[in-house]
Amino acid sequence: MREVRHPGVIESVSEGRSRRYFVAGGLLGGVALAGALTGLGRLAAAQGPSREQDERILNFMLRLEYLQSAFYAEAESQGVLDGELAEFARVVGEHERRHVARLRELLGDAAESEPELDLEEVTSTPDAFVEAAVALEDTGVSAFIGQGSNLTVEGVAAVTPLVSVEARHAAWILAIAGRDPAPAPADPAASVAGVQSALEQAGLTTSGS
Amino acid sequence: MDDIRSRPTLAQLDADGAIEEALDAVAGSSRGQFLRSAALGSAALLAGLSDTVAAAPGPKRDTAILNYALAFEYLQAGFYTEAESLGTIRAMGVERERWARTLGAHERAHVRILKDVLGRRAAGKPFFDYRGVTEDPDDFTRTAVAMEDLTVALLGGQAPRVSDRSLRAAFFSLLTVEARHAAWARRIVRVEPVVSAFDAPKTLAQVDRVIRSTRFRARRPKKEGRGSPRFTG
Repeated sequence: MREVRHPGVIESVSEGRSRRYFVAGGLLGGVALAGALTGLGRLAAAQGPSREQDERILNFMLRLEYLQSAFYAEAESQGVLDGELAEFARVVGEHERRHVARLRELLGDAAESEPELDLEEVTSTPDAFVEAAVALEDTGVSAFIGQGSNLTVEGVAAVTPLVSVEARHAAWILAIAGRDPAPAPADPAASVAGVQSALEQAGLTTSGS
Repeated sequence: MDDIRSRPTLAQLDADGAIEEALDAVAGSSRGQFLRSAALGSAALLAGLSDTVAAAPGPKRDTAILNYALAFEYLQAGFYTEAESLGTIRAMGVERERWARTLGAHERAHVRILKDVLGRRAAGKPFFDYRGVTEDPDDFTRTAVAMEDLTVALLGGQAPRVSDRSLRAAFFSLLTVEARHAAWARRIVRVEPVVSAFDAPKTLAQVDRVIRSTRFRARRPKKEGRGSPRFTG
Protein backbone atom coordinates (compact mmCIF):
# COMPACT_ATOMS: atom_id res chain seq x y z
CA MET A 1 0.00 0.00 0.00
CA ARG A 2 1.40 3.35 -0.96
CA GLU A 3 2.05 6.19 1.37
CA VAL A 4 -0.48 8.98 1.48
CA ARG A 5 0.82 12.02 -0.29
CA HIS A 6 -2.17 14.20 -0.93
CA PRO A 7 -1.72 17.89 -0.57
CA GLY A 8 -3.55 19.00 2.51
CA VAL A 9 -3.94 15.56 4.00
CA ILE A 10 -0.77 15.46 5.99
CA GLU A 11 0.36 19.04 5.58
CA SER A 12 0.57 21.34 8.50
CA VAL A 13 -1.91 24.15 8.91
CA SER A 14 0.61 26.91 8.94
CA GLU A 15 4.26 27.07 8.20
CA GLY A 16 7.04 29.45 8.77
CA ARG A 17 8.14 30.18 12.25
CA SER A 18 10.82 28.22 14.02
CA ARG A 19 9.97 25.62 16.59
CA ARG A 20 12.08 27.34 19.21
CA TYR A 21 9.95 30.43 18.82
CA PHE A 22 6.79 28.48 19.57
CA VAL A 23 8.23 26.55 22.43
CA ALA A 24 9.20 29.92 23.86
CA GLY A 25 5.74 31.31 23.17
CA GLY A 26 3.86 28.35 24.48
CA LEU A 27 0.51 26.97 23.45
CA LEU A 28 -1.30 29.11 25.96
CA GLY A 29 1.23 31.89 26.02
CA GLY A 30 0.80 34.55 28.62
CA VAL A 31 -0.18 31.71 30.90
CA ALA A 32 2.43 30.11 33.09
CA LEU A 33 2.53 26.52 31.91
CA ALA A 34 6.14 25.47 32.24
CA GLY A 35 5.19 21.81 32.36
CA ALA A 36 3.14 22.20 29.22
CA LEU A 37 6.06 23.60 27.29
CA THR A 38 8.37 20.69 27.95
CA GLY A 39 5.46 18.43 27.11
CA LEU A 40 5.11 20.08 23.73
CA GLY A 41 8.77 19.50 22.97
CA ARG A 42 8.43 15.81 23.51
CA LEU A 43 5.12 15.71 21.70
CA ALA A 44 6.70 17.18 18.59
CA ALA A 45 9.30 14.42 18.63
CA ALA A 46 6.67 11.68 18.69
CA GLN A 47 7.82 8.14 17.95
CA GLY A 48 5.69 5.00 17.99
CA PRO A 49 2.45 4.98 19.98
CA SER A 50 2.72 4.25 23.70
CA ARG A 51 0.75 4.90 26.84
CA GLU A 52 3.18 7.62 27.85
CA GLN A 53 2.83 9.33 24.52
CA ASP A 54 -0.95 9.03 24.72
CA GLU A 55 -0.78 10.96 27.98
CA ARG A 56 1.15 13.80 26.36
CA ILE A 57 -1.15 13.93 23.35
CA LEU A 58 -4.33 13.75 25.40
CA ASN A 59 -3.03 16.54 27.64
CA PHE A 60 -2.32 18.61 24.53
CA MET A 61 -5.92 17.99 23.44
CA LEU A 62 -7.10 18.79 26.96
CA ARG A 63 -5.36 22.19 26.80
CA LEU A 64 -7.20 22.93 23.55
CA GLU A 65 -10.49 21.88 25.11
CA TYR A 66 -9.79 24.05 28.19
CA LEU A 67 -9.21 26.99 25.85
CA GLN A 68 -12.40 26.29 23.87
CA SER A 69 -14.46 25.74 26.96
CA ALA A 70 -13.22 28.93 28.62
CA PHE A 71 -13.78 30.88 25.40
CA TYR A 72 -17.47 29.94 25.17
CA ALA A 73 -18.01 30.44 28.90
CA GLU A 74 -16.52 33.94 28.60
CA ALA A 75 -18.67 34.69 25.53
CA GLU A 76 -21.80 33.67 27.38
CA SER A 77 -20.95 35.79 30.41
CA GLN A 78 -20.16 38.81 28.20
CA GLY A 79 -23.61 38.47 26.69
CA VAL A 80 -22.97 40.27 23.39
CA LEU A 81 -24.26 37.43 21.21
CA ASP A 82 -27.80 36.86 20.04
CA GLY A 83 -29.76 34.65 17.64
CA GLU A 84 -28.00 31.68 16.10
CA LEU A 85 -24.64 32.93 17.35
CA ALA A 86 -25.83 32.78 20.95
CA GLU A 87 -27.26 29.32 20.35
CA PHE A 88 -23.96 28.22 18.82
CA ALA A 89 -22.00 29.47 21.86
CA ARG A 90 -24.38 27.76 24.26
CA VAL A 91 -24.51 24.39 22.48
CA VAL A 92 -20.83 24.24 21.58
CA GLY A 93 -19.76 25.50 25.02
CA GLU A 94 -21.64 22.60 26.58
CA HIS A 95 -19.93 20.15 24.20
CA GLU A 96 -16.48 21.53 25.02
CA ARG A 97 -17.13 21.17 28.75
CA ARG A 98 -18.08 17.56 28.17
CA HIS A 99 -14.93 17.05 26.09
CA VAL A 100 -12.86 18.44 28.96
CA ALA A 101 -14.59 16.04 31.35
CA ARG A 102 -14.02 13.06 29.02
CA LEU A 103 -10.33 13.84 28.53
CA ARG A 104 -9.81 14.39 32.27
CA GLU A 105 -11.47 11.06 32.92
CA LEU A 106 -9.21 9.33 30.37
CA LEU A 107 -6.10 10.94 31.85
CA GLY A 108 -6.98 10.41 35.49
CA ASP A 109 -4.19 11.64 37.76
CA ALA A 110 -2.10 12.63 34.73
CA ALA A 111 -4.60 15.31 33.68
CA GLU A 112 -3.25 18.85 33.74
CA SER A 113 -5.32 21.37 35.63
CA GLU A 114 -7.23 24.21 34.01
CA PRO A 115 -5.16 27.34 33.39
CA GLU A 116 -6.30 30.91 33.97
CA LEU A 117 -7.10 32.45 30.60
CA ASP A 118 -7.86 35.99 29.55
CA LEU A 119 -10.38 35.81 26.73
CA GLU A 120 -12.21 39.08 27.22
CA GLU A 121 -11.05 40.80 24.04
CA VAL A 122 -11.86 37.95 21.63
CA THR A 123 -15.39 37.74 23.01
CA SER A 124 -16.09 41.46 23.31
CA THR A 125 -18.04 41.81 20.03
CA PRO A 126 -19.93 39.35 17.80
CA ASP A 127 -17.38 39.87 15.00
CA ALA A 128 -14.43 39.21 17.29
CA PHE A 129 -16.20 36.14 18.63
CA VAL A 130 -16.86 34.72 15.15
CA GLU A 131 -13.26 35.24 14.03
CA ALA A 132 -11.86 33.62 17.15
CA ALA A 133 -14.39 30.76 17.11
CA VAL A 134 -13.56 29.92 13.49
CA ALA A 135 -9.84 29.83 14.31
CA LEU A 136 -10.43 27.83 17.47
CA GLU A 137 -12.61 25.15 15.87
CA ASP A 138 -10.65 24.81 12.63
CA THR A 139 -7.41 24.63 14.60
CA GLY A 140 -8.91 22.03 16.92
CA VAL A 141 -9.81 19.84 13.93
CA SER A 142 -6.32 20.10 12.45
CA ALA A 143 -4.68 19.49 15.82
CA PHE A 144 -6.65 16.29 16.31
CA ILE A 145 -5.82 15.09 12.78
CA GLY A 146 -2.15 15.89 13.36
CA GLN A 147 -1.90 13.96 16.59
CA GLY A 148 -4.65 11.34 16.20
CA SER A 149 -2.50 8.93 14.26
CA ASN A 150 0.20 9.01 16.97
CA LEU A 151 -2.19 7.59 19.56
CA THR A 152 -2.52 3.95 20.53
CA VAL A 153 -5.59 2.10 19.24
CA GLU A 154 -7.32 2.70 22.58
CA GLY A 155 -6.44 6.39 22.39
CA VAL A 156 -7.81 6.72 18.87
CA ALA A 157 -11.05 4.99 19.82
CA ALA A 158 -11.43 7.35 22.78
CA VAL A 159 -10.93 10.61 20.89
CA THR A 160 -12.54 9.85 17.52
CA PRO A 161 -16.15 10.55 18.66
CA LEU A 162 -14.93 13.97 19.81
CA VAL A 163 -12.91 14.80 16.68
CA SER A 164 -15.85 14.66 14.29
CA VAL A 165 -17.87 16.83 16.67
CA GLU A 166 -15.14 19.49 16.53
CA ALA A 167 -15.43 19.37 12.74
CA ARG A 168 -19.20 19.86 13.01
CA HIS A 169 -18.59 22.88 15.24
CA ALA A 170 -16.17 24.30 12.67
CA ALA A 171 -18.66 23.87 9.83
CA TRP A 172 -21.45 25.42 11.86
CA ILE A 173 -19.58 28.60 12.77
CA LEU A 174 -18.24 28.95 9.21
CA ALA A 175 -21.80 28.67 7.88
CA ILE A 176 -23.02 31.30 10.34
CA ALA A 177 -20.15 33.54 9.21
CA GLY A 178 -21.25 33.11 5.58
CA ARG A 179 -18.04 31.27 4.77
CA ASP A 180 -17.46 27.86 3.22
CA PRO A 181 -18.23 25.27 5.93
CA ALA A 182 -16.09 22.63 4.22
CA PRO A 183 -13.26 24.46 2.45
CA ALA A 184 -11.37 21.37 1.24
CA PRO A 185 -12.06 17.73 0.37
CA ALA A 186 -9.52 16.65 3.00
CA ASP A 187 -8.88 18.62 6.20
CA PRO A 188 -5.25 19.56 6.87
CA ALA A 189 -3.28 18.24 9.82
CA ALA A 190 -1.48 20.71 12.06
CA SER A 191 1.79 20.25 13.88
CA VAL A 192 1.96 21.45 17.45
CA ALA A 193 3.82 24.52 16.19
CA GLY A 194 1.13 25.10 13.58
CA VAL A 195 -1.56 24.96 16.24
CA GLN A 196 0.29 27.48 18.37
CA SER A 197 0.81 29.79 15.43
CA ALA A 198 -2.85 29.69 14.40
CA LEU A 199 -4.10 30.37 17.93
CA GLU A 200 -1.65 33.20 18.37
CA GLN A 201 -2.66 34.84 15.10
CA ALA A 202 -6.26 34.67 16.23
CA GLY A 203 -5.43 36.50 19.44
CA LEU A 204 -6.33 33.47 21.51
CA THR A 205 -2.85 33.11 22.90
CA THR A 206 0.09 35.46 23.09
CA SER A 207 3.78 34.89 22.66
CA GLY A 208 6.39 36.07 25.07
CA SER A 209 5.78 36.54 28.78
CA MET B 1 -49.45 4.09 0.55
CA ASP B 2 -47.25 5.03 3.47
CA ASP B 3 -45.87 1.52 3.76
CA ILE B 4 -45.21 0.63 7.38
CA ARG B 5 -42.36 -1.71 6.43
CA SER B 6 -40.46 1.24 5.08
CA ARG B 7 -40.38 3.19 8.32
CA PRO B 8 -37.31 1.59 9.91
CA THR B 9 -35.10 2.94 7.13
CA LEU B 10 -35.22 6.56 8.06
CA ALA B 11 -35.24 5.67 11.75
CA GLN B 12 -31.96 3.82 11.29
CA LEU B 13 -30.43 6.69 9.43
CA ASP B 14 -31.78 9.31 11.76
CA ALA B 15 -31.40 7.93 15.25
CA ASP B 16 -32.46 11.09 17.04
CA GLY B 17 -35.50 11.60 14.86
CA ALA B 18 -34.57 15.21 14.23
CA ILE B 19 -34.21 14.92 10.49
CA GLU B 20 -37.47 13.11 10.02
CA GLU B 21 -39.26 15.68 12.12
CA ALA B 22 -37.74 18.65 10.33
CA LEU B 23 -38.12 17.15 6.91
CA ASP B 24 -41.74 16.39 7.49
CA ALA B 25 -42.16 20.11 7.81
CA VAL B 26 -39.98 20.87 4.80
CA ALA B 27 -40.99 18.12 2.44
CA GLY B 28 -44.49 17.34 3.56
CA SER B 29 -46.29 14.90 1.33
CA SER B 30 -43.29 13.58 -0.57
CA ARG B 31 -42.14 11.76 2.55
CA GLY B 32 -44.23 8.67 1.92
CA GLN B 33 -42.89 8.37 -1.57
CA PHE B 34 -39.33 8.67 -0.38
CA LEU B 35 -39.79 6.02 2.27
CA ARG B 36 -41.33 3.64 -0.23
CA SER B 37 -38.52 4.06 -2.70
CA ALA B 38 -35.76 3.85 -0.14
CA ALA B 39 -36.80 1.06 2.13
CA LEU B 40 -37.01 -2.23 0.36
CA GLY B 41 -33.66 -3.84 -0.19
CA SER B 42 -31.30 -6.71 -0.16
CA ALA B 43 -27.86 -6.31 -1.72
CA ALA B 44 -24.99 -5.74 0.67
CA LEU B 45 -22.75 -2.80 -0.17
CA LEU B 46 -19.75 -5.06 -0.58
CA ALA B 47 -20.70 -8.68 -0.33
CA GLY B 48 -17.78 -10.90 0.60
CA LEU B 49 -15.65 -8.15 2.07
CA SER B 50 -16.88 -8.35 5.63
CA ASP B 51 -14.76 -11.44 6.42
CA THR B 52 -11.54 -9.61 5.63
CA VAL B 53 -12.71 -6.51 7.44
CA ALA B 54 -13.20 -8.66 10.55
CA ALA B 55 -9.66 -10.09 10.29
CA ALA B 56 -6.77 -9.38 12.64
CA PRO B 57 -5.18 -5.90 12.55
CA GLY B 58 -2.68 -5.40 9.75
CA PRO B 59 -2.25 -4.41 6.10
CA LYS B 60 -4.91 -6.84 4.89
CA ARG B 61 -7.55 -5.42 7.20
CA ASP B 62 -6.47 -1.87 6.37
CA THR B 63 -7.00 -2.60 2.68
CA ALA B 64 -10.43 -4.08 3.35
CA ILE B 65 -11.47 -1.10 5.47
CA LEU B 66 -10.25 1.38 2.89
CA ASN B 67 -12.04 -0.52 0.16
CA TYR B 68 -15.25 -0.41 2.15
CA ALA B 69 -14.76 3.35 2.59
CA LEU B 70 -14.08 3.58 -1.15
CA ALA B 71 -17.34 1.80 -1.95
CA PHE B 72 -19.14 4.20 0.34
CA GLU B 73 -17.52 7.21 -1.32
CA TYR B 74 -18.55 5.79 -4.71
CA LEU B 75 -22.09 5.58 -3.37
CA GLN B 76 -22.02 9.22 -2.28
CA ALA B 77 -20.19 10.56 -5.33
CA GLY B 78 -22.62 8.81 -7.67
CA PHE B 79 -25.55 10.16 -5.72
CA TYR B 80 -24.48 13.81 -6.03
CA THR B 81 -23.29 13.39 -9.61
CA GLU B 82 -26.60 11.90 -10.69
CA ALA B 83 -28.58 14.67 -8.97
CA GLU B 84 -26.36 17.20 -10.71
CA SER B 85 -26.72 15.65 -14.16
CA LEU B 86 -30.49 15.34 -13.78
CA GLY B 87 -30.74 19.07 -13.03
CA THR B 88 -32.13 18.47 -9.53
CA ILE B 89 -29.37 20.45 -7.87
CA ARG B 90 -29.69 23.36 -10.29
CA ALA B 91 -33.34 23.74 -9.30
CA MET B 92 -32.70 23.99 -5.56
CA GLY B 93 -31.88 27.64 -5.00
CA VAL B 94 -28.52 29.31 -4.49
CA GLU B 95 -27.66 28.18 -0.96
CA ARG B 96 -28.57 24.53 -1.45
CA GLU B 97 -27.04 24.43 -4.89
CA ARG B 98 -23.69 25.62 -3.53
CA TRP B 99 -23.93 23.07 -0.73
CA ALA B 100 -24.81 20.14 -3.00
CA ARG B 101 -22.19 20.97 -5.62
CA THR B 102 -19.47 21.30 -2.97
CA LEU B 103 -20.37 17.98 -1.40
CA GLY B 104 -20.42 16.27 -4.78
CA ALA B 105 -16.99 17.64 -5.65
CA HIS B 106 -15.64 16.49 -2.27
CA GLU B 107 -17.05 12.97 -2.52
CA ARG B 108 -15.57 12.60 -6.00
CA ALA B 109 -12.24 13.80 -4.60
CA HIS B 110 -12.54 11.23 -1.79
CA VAL B 111 -12.95 8.48 -4.40
CA ARG B 112 -9.79 9.67 -6.13
CA ILE B 113 -7.87 9.92 -2.84
CA LEU B 114 -8.83 6.43 -1.69
CA LYS B 115 -8.17 4.92 -5.13
CA ASP B 116 -4.77 6.56 -5.15
CA VAL B 117 -3.98 5.39 -1.62
CA LEU B 118 -5.06 1.83 -2.41
CA GLY B 119 -3.29 1.73 -5.77
CA ARG B 120 -3.64 -1.67 -7.41
CA ARG B 121 -5.56 -2.95 -4.39
CA ALA B 122 -8.49 -0.63 -5.07
CA ALA B 123 -11.74 -2.54 -5.60
CA GLY B 124 -13.84 -1.74 -8.65
CA LYS B 125 -16.74 0.67 -8.67
CA PRO B 126 -19.99 -0.92 -7.47
CA PHE B 127 -23.22 -0.31 -9.35
CA PHE B 128 -25.90 1.83 -7.82
CA ASP B 129 -29.53 2.59 -8.47
CA TYR B 130 -30.74 5.56 -6.47
CA ARG B 131 -34.34 4.69 -7.20
CA GLY B 132 -35.52 8.14 -8.11
CA VAL B 133 -34.31 9.82 -4.93
CA THR B 134 -31.96 12.03 -6.98
CA GLU B 135 -34.85 13.41 -9.03
CA ASP B 136 -36.70 15.33 -6.33
CA PRO B 137 -34.98 18.16 -4.41
CA ASP B 138 -36.58 17.24 -1.07
CA ASP B 139 -35.94 13.51 -1.38
CA PHE B 140 -32.42 14.27 -2.51
CA THR B 141 -31.75 16.64 0.38
CA ARG B 142 -33.10 14.41 3.11
CA THR B 143 -31.17 11.44 1.79
CA ALA B 144 -28.01 13.55 1.63
CA VAL B 145 -28.43 14.60 5.27
CA ALA B 146 -28.89 11.00 6.38
CA MET B 147 -26.02 9.76 4.21
CA GLU B 148 -23.55 12.33 5.57
CA ASP B 149 -24.38 11.47 9.17
CA LEU B 150 -24.03 7.79 8.30
CA THR B 151 -20.59 8.38 6.76
CA VAL B 152 -19.42 10.06 9.95
CA ALA B 153 -20.57 7.02 11.93
CA LEU B 154 -18.89 4.66 9.44
CA LEU B 155 -15.50 6.42 9.33
CA GLY B 156 -15.60 7.11 13.07
CA GLY B 157 -16.13 3.42 13.72
CA GLN B 158 -13.32 2.32 11.43
CA ALA B 159 -10.63 4.94 12.22
CA PRO B 160 -9.42 3.10 15.36
CA ARG B 161 -9.26 -0.17 13.37
CA VAL B 162 -6.81 1.17 10.78
CA SER B 163 -3.31 0.01 11.80
CA ASP B 164 -1.10 2.03 9.46
CA ARG B 165 -0.55 5.45 10.98
CA SER B 166 -0.31 7.47 7.77
CA LEU B 167 -3.47 5.81 6.51
CA ARG B 168 -5.16 6.59 9.77
CA ALA B 169 -4.19 10.26 9.42
CA ALA B 170 -5.72 10.29 5.93
CA PHE B 171 -8.81 8.60 7.33
CA PHE B 172 -9.14 11.34 9.95
CA SER B 173 -8.84 14.01 7.24
CA LEU B 174 -11.80 12.48 5.44
CA LEU B 175 -13.79 11.87 8.62
CA THR B 176 -13.67 15.51 9.66
CA VAL B 177 -14.73 16.66 6.18
CA GLU B 178 -17.69 14.26 6.27
CA ALA B 179 -18.56 15.69 9.68
CA ARG B 180 -18.45 19.20 8.20
CA HIS B 181 -20.75 18.00 5.41
CA ALA B 182 -23.15 16.52 7.94
CA ALA B 183 -23.30 19.68 10.04
CA TRP B 184 -23.73 21.85 6.93
CA ALA B 185 -26.45 19.56 5.59
CA ARG B 186 -28.32 19.58 8.87
CA ARG B 187 -28.18 23.37 9.05
CA ILE B 188 -29.51 23.55 5.47
CA VAL B 189 -32.63 21.65 6.56
CA ARG B 190 -32.80 23.64 9.78
CA VAL B 191 -32.07 20.96 12.33
CA GLU B 192 -29.35 21.15 14.99
CA PRO B 193 -25.97 20.78 13.19
CA VAL B 194 -24.40 19.05 16.19
CA VAL B 195 -26.76 16.91 18.25
CA SER B 196 -24.31 15.56 20.79
CA ALA B 197 -20.87 16.21 22.30
CA PHE B 198 -19.80 12.83 20.92
CA ASP B 199 -20.58 11.23 17.54
CA ALA B 200 -21.59 7.61 18.03
CA PRO B 201 -19.67 5.23 15.74
CA LYS B 202 -21.40 2.46 13.81
CA THR B 203 -20.03 -0.99 13.06
CA LEU B 204 -19.75 -2.15 9.45
CA ALA B 205 -22.63 -4.54 10.06
CA GLN B 206 -24.81 -1.63 11.19
CA VAL B 207 -23.79 0.51 8.22
CA ASP B 208 -24.38 -2.36 5.84
CA ARG B 209 -27.87 -2.89 7.21
CA VAL B 210 -28.72 0.72 6.51
CA ILE B 211 -27.31 0.61 2.99
CA ARG B 212 -29.13 -2.65 2.32
CA SER B 213 -32.36 -1.07 3.38
CA THR B 214 -31.96 1.72 0.82
CA ARG B 215 -31.47 -0.77 -2.04
CA PHE B 216 -29.13 1.77 -3.61
CA ARG B 217 -26.56 -0.96 -4.22
CA ALA B 218 -27.57 -2.67 -7.45
CA ARG B 219 -26.37 -6.08 -8.58
CA ARG B 220 -25.59 -5.02 -12.10
CA PRO B 221 -25.89 -1.95 -14.30
CA LYS B 222 -29.39 -0.82 -14.97
CA LYS B 223 -30.13 -1.07 -18.68
CA GLU B 224 -31.51 2.11 -20.14
CA GLY B 225 -33.39 2.49 -23.37
CA ARG B 226 -30.61 4.66 -24.74
CA GLY B 227 -28.18 1.82 -24.28
CA SER B 228 -25.86 3.96 -22.23
CA PRO B 229 -25.33 4.23 -18.48
CA ARG B 230 -27.58 6.72 -16.78
CA PHE B 231 -24.61 8.39 -15.23
CA THR B 232 -21.02 7.81 -14.29
CA GLY B 233 -19.68 8.93 -11.01
